[in-house]
Amino acid sequence: MPQIIEVCPLTELPPGAVRLVEWEDLEIGVFNCGGMVYAIEDRCTHDDGPLVEGEFNQEACTVECPRHGSLFDLKTGKPKTLPAYVPVDTFPVIIDEETIKLEVE
Amino acid sequence: MATPETQVLTENEQLGNINSDYTERYGFHDAENYLYKAPKGLTRQTVEMISDFKSEPEWMREFRLKALDYFLARKQPTWGSPMLAEVDYDNIRYFVRASETPSRSWDDVPEDVKRTFDRLGIPEAERKFLSGVGAQYESEVVYHQVHKDLEAQGVIFTDMDTALREHEDIVREYFATIIPPNDNKLAALNSAVWSGGSFVYVPEGVHVEMPLQAYFRINTENMGQFERTLIIAAPGSYVHYVEGCTAPTYSSDSLHSAVVELIAQPGARIRYTTVQNWSMNVFNLVTKRAVAYEDATVEWVDCNLGSKLTMKYPSIYLLGERAHGEVLSIAFAGAGQHQDAGAKIIHAAPNTTSNIFAKSISKDGGRGSYRGLLEVAKGAHGSKSKVVCDALLLDEHSRSDTYPTIRIGENDVDVGHEATVSKVGEDQLFYLRSHGIPEEEASKLIVNGFIEPITKELPMEYAVEMNRLIELQMEGSIG
Repeated sequence: MPQIIEVCPLTELPPGAVRLVEWEDLEIGVFNCGGMVYAIEDRCTHDDGPLVEGEFNQEACTVECPRHGSLFDLKTGKPKTLPAYVPVDTFPVIIDEETIKLEVE
Repeated sequence: MATPETQVLTENEQLGNINSDYTERYGFHDAENYLYKAPKGLTRQTVEMISDFKSEPEWMREFRLKALDYFLARKQPTWGSPMLAEVDYDNIRYFVRASETPSRSWDDVPEDVKRTFDRLGIPEAERKFLSGVGAQYESEVVYHQVHKDLEAQGVIFTDMDTALREHEDIVREYFATIIPPNDNKLAALNSAVWSGGSFVYVPEGVHVEMPLQAYFRINTENMGQFERTLIIAAPGSYVHYVEGCTAPTYSSDSLHSAVVELIAQPGARIRYTTVQNWSMNVFNLVTKRAVAYEDATVEWVDCNLGSKLTMKYPSIYLLGERAHGEVLSIAFAGAGQHQDAGAKIIHAAPNTTSNIFAKSISKDGGRGSYRGLLEVAKGAHGSKSKVVCDALLLDEHSRSDTYPTIRIGENDVDVGHEATVSKVGEDQLFYLRSHGIPEEEASKLIVNGFIEPITKELPMEYAVEMNRLIELQMEGSIG
């Protein structure tokens, strides 16, 4: 069953900011790309690198895995460069009364 | 029975025979009439200077500087070979310029440099059987030419520096998408200080019938050569790229660290052949990776004869359905050499196929290693792969290692792995000798038979050269 979890007020995650959220055994990175908020699993599909620790480019809306450099599109979760070739999971983001919420399952 | 003294003498004699004509044929060096020779060592200033020299766009300068940070942040790898600990990054020159711009006529190449390539037979090969040639001397390409009819069909074959100036949009779209700068320490180093290398673009449906060749030459001592090659084969096209390399023999070490990226779009085929014959003072630490989309084929034919230490594992990501990948690898490790070669193939789409055939020969205390990865991703059903790695040991001082990794994430696949290690057998030698063939000749025949499945895949001219080199390395191997 999908579940809605609360992340933080939108004001606490301004454009260019990143936050790590934990839910059960999942770690989720929440990124604000110039006002649009996206959420992906915080685990590179190549070698489990922690994506929230990588370089976040909010204009391109990408994050670079700090372990081997794969670049991920935060909107789709798809890798734009190797060595990762499998997309990371993405999570629907809901902005509800100025609060960021995620739909998880 | 031989005494210890005579055994040592015999081994020393054998050492003297390895690559016995290397100095004469490849190991010579020219006078250094350089336009610029960077001081030794790697600093931010060196990287900025390279970018300034090349008048690069700002995004490439930033790319280099970011890569330098990655290089400095990463520790030297400790896997692969203990020899890696000997690489002294502070004792390397990261940029040496021999001529002003790449020339399209051999007459415009500086005389010393032209003479070198004449001795190496490059202009002659170009006239006889190549579609195009790039010749790199130290850090930059000094000569580049491609057949006019190919240019008329839209084929681009140029050095990477020129490509960045003249085809910036294509370069920016694909550059470092296959091997990002933080992929590994050596890829980061190359990304920071890259210079030269080839850029190939083959338009849709165009078949380049004769090979394109690049030749890489190091001349000065303690040189670092960091070429960067990017090949894009548009849908349904075909290209065969061949590279060769040599260097003079010095008492201190040089470093060659290339990054090679291949992109085979749907239905395209790229064959990439390497005949690596660096001198015995060169660390050869290279990252090569390819992607093959739907119905595309990528083949790496990788022959490693020279260098002190080679660590190279050409890889292919089969990203589209029915894509095919093939790696044919020969490594020859003589005294003082470690050839740590192999292959990686990743089946990431259904009904993809691959073969890895790796052969290594070790003699006089040399070490040959096969290190490989075969991965079948979840969902890549119907994939088939065969991995065969064979090692031949010519004496009891030599060493062979095999490090195969296989990861299978799908049930409906067909994967086979075979590995053998053998010695040149007394019975094989006896059989040949009983037919009147001298022992040394018999040994050469056995080695040639061992590598024949791979040399037969080389263009004839390279197969002849390869056999000649192997024969030279075999001289004196029967003690």
